[in-house]
Amino acid sequence: MPKPSRRATFRSASLRTRAVAPRACLLALLLACATGQARARAGQADVSLEYAVKATYLYKLAPFVNWPPTTFTAANEPFHICVAGDDPFGRYLEKAVAGRSLGTHPFEVRRMDSLTPDAACQIVFISHLPSQSVRQALDAVSGRPVLTVLDSTTDNPGGIVQFVIERGRVRFVIDTAQAARNHISISSKLLNLALTVRQPT
Amino acid sequence: MNAVTHRSGLAASILLALSIQVAQAAQAGDMAVPATDLGSLSLEDLGKVVVSSVAKKPEALSEAPAAVYVISHDDVMRSGARNLPDILRLAPNLEIFQTSPSGYTITARGFSGNNFAQNFPNKLLVLIDGRSVYSPIFSGMYWDDQFVLPQNIERVEVISGPGGALWGANAVNGVINIITRASADTQGGLLSLSAGNLESSAAVQYGGTLGPHAHYRVYASEIRRRAFDDSAGQDAHDGWRKPQAGFRLDWDAGDGDALMLQGDLHDGRQDQPAGPEARSSEGDLLARWQHALSETSSLQLQTYYDHVYRRNQGDGSGFKLDTWDIEAQHNLALGERNQLVWGVGDRIYRYDIKPRIGVDSSLLWDPTRNTQNLANAFVQDQIALDARTQLTLGLKAEDDPYSGVSLMPNARLSWQPTRNVLLWAAASRAVRTPTPFDEDVIEKQGAVTFLAGNPDFRREKLTAYETGWRAQVATRATVSVSVYYNVYDDLRTVEFAPVTVLPLTWGNNMQGHTLGLEAWGSYAVSERWQLGAGFTTRRQHLRFKPDGSGLLGLAQAGDDPDRQGFVRSTVNLSDRWTLYTELRGVGPLPDPKVPGYVELDARLGWLVNDKLELSLSGFNLLRSWHQEYVFPGSDRIGRSVSLDARVNF
Repeated sequence: MPKPSRRATFRSASLRTRAVAPRACLLALLLACATGQARARAGQADVSLEYAVKATYLYKLAPFVNWPPTTFTAANEPFHICVAGDDPFGRYLEKAVAGRSLGTHPFEVRRMDSLTPDAACQIVFISHLPSQSVRQALDAVSGRPVLTVLDSTTDNPGGIVQFVIERGRVRFVIDTAQAARNHISISSKLLNLALTVRQPT
Repeated sequence: MNAVTHRSGLAASILLALSIQVAQAAQAGDMAVPATDLGSLSLEDLGKVVVSSVAKKPEALSEAPAAVYVISHDDVMRSGARNLPDILRLAPNLEIFQTSPSGYTITARGFSGNNFAQNFPNKLLVLIDGRSVYSPIFSGMYWDDQFVLPQNIERVEVISGPGGALWGANAVNGVINIITRASADTQGGLLSLSAGNLESSAAVQYGGTLGPHAHYRVYASEIRRRAFDDSAGQDAHDGWRKPQAGFRLDWDAGDGDALMLQGDLHDGRQDQPAGPEARSSEGDLLARWQHALSETSSLQLQTYYDHVYRRNQGDGSGFKLDTWDIEAQHNLALGERNQLVWGVGDRIYRYDIKPRIGVDSSLLWDPTRNTQNLANAFVQDQIALDARTQLTLGLKAEDDPYSGVSLMPNARLSWQPTRNVLLWAAASRAVRTPTPFDEDVIEKQGAVTFLAGNPDFRREKLTAYETGWRAQVATRATVSVSVYYNVYDDLRTVEFAPVTVLPLTWGNNMQGHTLGLEAWGSYAVSERWQLGAGFTTRRQHLRFKPDGSGLLGLAQAGDDPDRQGFVRSTVNLSDRWTLYTELRGVGPLPDPKVPGYVELDARLGWLVNDKLELSLSGFNLLRSWHQEYVFPGSDRIGRSVSLDARVNF
């Protein structure tokens, strides 16, 4: 049985495509109607559900943490949620906190490649950093009133909040000793929700 | 903490629904904004959102080192497709050829078969909620036996390429895994009516609760399709109707225990050109129990029974097939780096074939009745080599009644250089094991035995090498590209008897390779307008082994286009109006020759109010008919238009 020539099949096919080109315009027309309606808006939720939930946690944790009175100098100063190193949230985090505030402090998202002691952050999320180890990043803000939140993919004992994927759900572990070191305290309600609480020994 | 986990009720069911909606978007790599704002949830409720499931690792799909395409619930609803094969057209990595109102030929990566050589597409594994639905008699599909109400589909995972290690035998060229929604997500009443020039359907469903932790749904539906025209333009007298009813029950028993029970019953009828209609009926019942052993370990037990009855009432031929299946699966984390899944399963199937005996030709079987056992065991370890690199090693052993134990190993490596990019590569082996059709069939022409099954028929084997790249480009686009090199051996051929020439028998004398590319992506032009596109292309190089007769030529392996693709657009014209359009093109089929075609599907949906949705759907709109496949009984596929109404009560 002669083998069909691939090349010949290809040629005849491209002829076909040309023949149907006027019909393809029909779709173009339909799309054109749509363009009029379509309004370009940024900030799509192009993030996995896991990270959408984690992003939501980030700002929802804030009311359950007591920061020292010196944290804010002005009533309208933003509350900074920082993402140090890799950012798994895309634009989702901005979208999630838009219009939300802790008391009089509107949430604001900041991104940084590495953490320094003078980083103006109240909450910092750390997964993986290009230029610092997680340990170094944690050490940089140690003793400062910063709630460190480690991603579930990062396993380092030094964070205050550590995300954990438990039975397909995003949960967390809290280390109150680390919190105390950073001069912040965590409400009992949040501790109750934690999978585990690591107490000062 | 326990109080949190087990606090259930309304909030939990809403959450479940929510998590599923969003999970779809995430898994499909969609750009869709989550339907519900997670921000409205309390901290407790956030902790209940299921972001991944521990069972057989479906959560890892977006990170799965395989060519996976996920058809989401929303995709299904937007398309307006109601019959399962038409829904499967949404996956770029499947080839779908419609041949009659109820008949479809579906395959992945080629090998659609050839009717003249009695070779049917037989290298796909199809699962509906974990129930294997390909026929063990010839390892192909009766697509008219499978119907799922579109609104109950949670998602369809289409894996092109071998899935032997995890999913089992027959997952040679692909796996179609259809997952239905939990009863908690289909609460309330639903009435769905559709009327069109070729198809009409009606469905009614009610979902309720049995106490705070148990949900159920019951449904009844009927789909009817008018007879098509045959390839010569004459009425093919092959109209089809299929009433079906079923239920699903989900019970969250607390303490990490969950039970699911579901069943369906249908009785399809297809008109015949001459003589009485043909019947195809089926009933199935499945139970699944999931149990969390600890925070990092879970157990799943599943069992089902399935009864298929097909009968051509004209000549009395047909078969009965009963299947009992039981399987257990254990997921556990071993230390920090290893995620292990292992399991065992056993399937018993009993068939009783009424042969077709005619004056000219007869299709007989020896034996006509048999009970067979198919046992399997599998293990897969997902090893985190470092934070960005994962190695997955899997092995499945399957013991089939004809060829004994087959080993199907696979190794997959994935690397995430950044969070938005995944590179993967895999090498795997899969087999299609012999079936009664390979071993026991006897075809007679008059009194002469023309073809006889071969008791020494061997497994058809595939060794596949695949690599892929998946990325989120900028924040609005997703792209997935995979390339495969599939090496086949011992493919089925037709051979002469050594001295007497007849009867012909099956041999394993074809081998060769295919090289292909599969690509798809999505782009969110704006919040209201999404585009999607998919494309596959393939080169096939098969040859007969020196001992092979070469009878019927290489075309017997399949008549497949070397390329196909689609472009689709979804526009939310307003909060209540949605326009979906899809332009798809399929290349020509080489042998027998079928011209390629380009067709347009479209659906305009109008959400009149919270209770009522009206829509106008059109399929194959560009011309009055086209032909998707050629062989006797392969119809012209005509333009189809329908008006649908969905009422929630």
